[in-house]
Amino acid sequence: MSEVSQPGGRPGVIHDLGYRHYDGVREGTATIARTLFVTGLRHAYGLGRSGKSKVMPFLLLGMSVLPALIVVGVVVLTGLSSLPVAYADYTNQTQLLVSLFAAAQAPVLFSRDLRHRSIVLYLARPLAAPVFALVRWLSLTVAVWLFMSVPTLLLYVGAMLAGLDKSDQTTSLLKAVVLQVLLAMLIAGITGLISSVSLRRGFAVVGSVMALIVLTGVITAVQAISADQDADAASTTVGLLSPWSLYSGLANAWDAGIDTFVPVDGAWPLAYALVAVLLVATCLLGLVARFRKVGSR
Amino acid sequence: MAGVTGEQHGPGPVITTAGLTKHYGAVHALTDLTVQVGSGVTGLVGANGAGKSTLIKILLGLLEPTGGQASVLGHDIEHAGQEIRRVVGYMPEHDCLPPDVSASDFTVHMARMSGLGASAARERAADVLRHVGLDEERYRPMGGYSTGMKQRAKLAQALAHDPQLVFLDEPTNGLDPAARNDMLRLVQRIGSEFGIAVLVTSHLLGELEQVSDHVIVLDGGHLLRSSATGDFLQQTGSLLVEVVGTETERDRLGEALARLGLTCRPRGAMVAIDPPPPELAAEGVAHDLIRDVAAELGLGLMRLQPDRRHLEDVFLDGGARV
Repeated sequence: MSEVSQPGGRPGVIHDLGYRHYDGVREGTATIARTLFVTGLRHAYGLGRSGKSKVMPFLLLGMSVLPALIVVGVVVLTGLSSLPVAYADYTNQTQLLVSLFAAAQAPVLFSRDLRHRSIVLYLARPLAAPVFALVRWLSLTVAVWLFMSVPTLLLYVGAMLAGLDKSDQTTSLLKAVVLQVLLAMLIAGITGLISSVSLRRGFAVVGSVMALIVLTGVITAVQAISADQDADAASTTVGLLSPWSLYSGLANAWDAGIDTFVPVDGAWPLAYALVAVLLVATCLLGLVARFRKVGSR
Repeated sequence: MAGVTGEQHGPGPVITTAGLTKHYGAVHALTDLTVQVGSGVTGLVGANGAGKSTLIKILLGLLEPTGGQASVLGHDIEHAGQEIRRVVGYMPEHDCLPPDVSASDFTVHMARMSGLGASAARERAADVLRHVGLDEERYRPMGGYSTGMKQRAKLAQALAHDPQLVFLDEPTNGLDPAARNDMLRLVQRIGSEFGIAVLVTSHLLGELEQVSDHVIVLDGGHLLRSSATGDFLQQTGSLLVEVVGTETERDRLGEALARLGLTCRPRGAMVAIDPPPPELAAEGVAHDLIRDVAAELGLGLMRLQPDRRHLEDVFLDGGARV
């Protein structure tokens, strides 16, 4: 403990400045929320955390970028007239990596504060529980979206280098980006909610893997079987049940380069979009309720 | 960006509650609590479950009261929770530190979450960590900290943004006697030297007796008593006398004083003298008498002091509720 000058005693030593009050600027809620967002985004990639925690996100990112690099190399060197894989479909093809990234990193943003109870320290500060939950979700959404968009942008750069038609490629890219944003919102909501409920990191990761990878596998199988049995409506209906089938269904309907077992058309695209939005909203409400409850304990 | 500069709270009560009530179903955590807290250090005493933590959480806006009103630093808790949380610090009772972060990084982050800019937060964090007494260990992950170090880190984050009021919930919990004394000294310094109003809870009355200017006693969610610490420790009019020697000397003195009309009883190595009868009650008369008797008997006076009440007596009195 520092030396303090005693009343009537000798004055404090020279390095002791005593307690100094802070009378500088105190930022508003928006700035605090932005700081929390940036910190969360950095933490999702292990930045500002231990060296060990950077391994997983960057390993997965490297694995998802590698095929894109190969495709770019092939297209540029051989002068193909089109990309062998559409932008939106590339994300679909690498869905295992995207799901693993979200499952592994969601607990960083959603379990830690709750498990170690530091959430109470946050909620004793200006940001309210709903804002805190939303900002956390936004951090993960942007982290997941960046994970998908880096290889996508790489493909686009390759297409430009190979001299493919700029307007075609740009339209296709923008469609993919919109779909990816929606997908990122869904995945961040689902993995975030699971991580905020199951506070042990292991359970959270397993839960998210079940929800994103296993469930999607089951749904794809059911879709394939029902399409094979000519039960087209059943095949499309089942597609409402997982974020990945929602993504590919919407991409198919929007002509963004993903083939589904049965074309998603008619009123189905609207249903898909509606379910996606409802799912995001439900996850957000669940997150807010969860943070509020833990914070008041 | 809504920038707000720090303003110091003027005189007047720091916390005011009126009929504050919190019921969890059939459990009555707080019942009709009306109390005022001023600047300096205020102790909030009560057994476990007396409603201390509930009161703090309501004042922070983390819990909604079932009934009643309260204001903190002039802000109403119902409408201005955010303004309150901007200028108040909170050190919870339970563990709340992530184990894989250093106290230094954590305190900086928490200061930023209170609205300080990056460089101001770093400067403040370094300052408060020094004040709470975390030296080189501030750069190590907090998972490896002792209980004493964890309590200091928790206190540092509560002070990081230079609040006008801090809620310290059981800051001495789990500390050994030496660390407990350090923490209590620190609490006292926060209230006096730092000029930050403190509401500190404890279930140990003796602790708060040492550091508080004012004590509020809660019992089962009810206000038992609220007054200045000095009033609790009022002099009873009794005296305590100790002389050099063993019990033999003590008894010789006691018997001699009893013959002169004072009611004496042994208490440990001392003689406790009840409030003197009217003819000896004048200022200093009893003291002179004791001095003279000790001199006559050839006994060495070691101690002659007023017998003061302790906070415990408030409870022993049977606790007539206010």
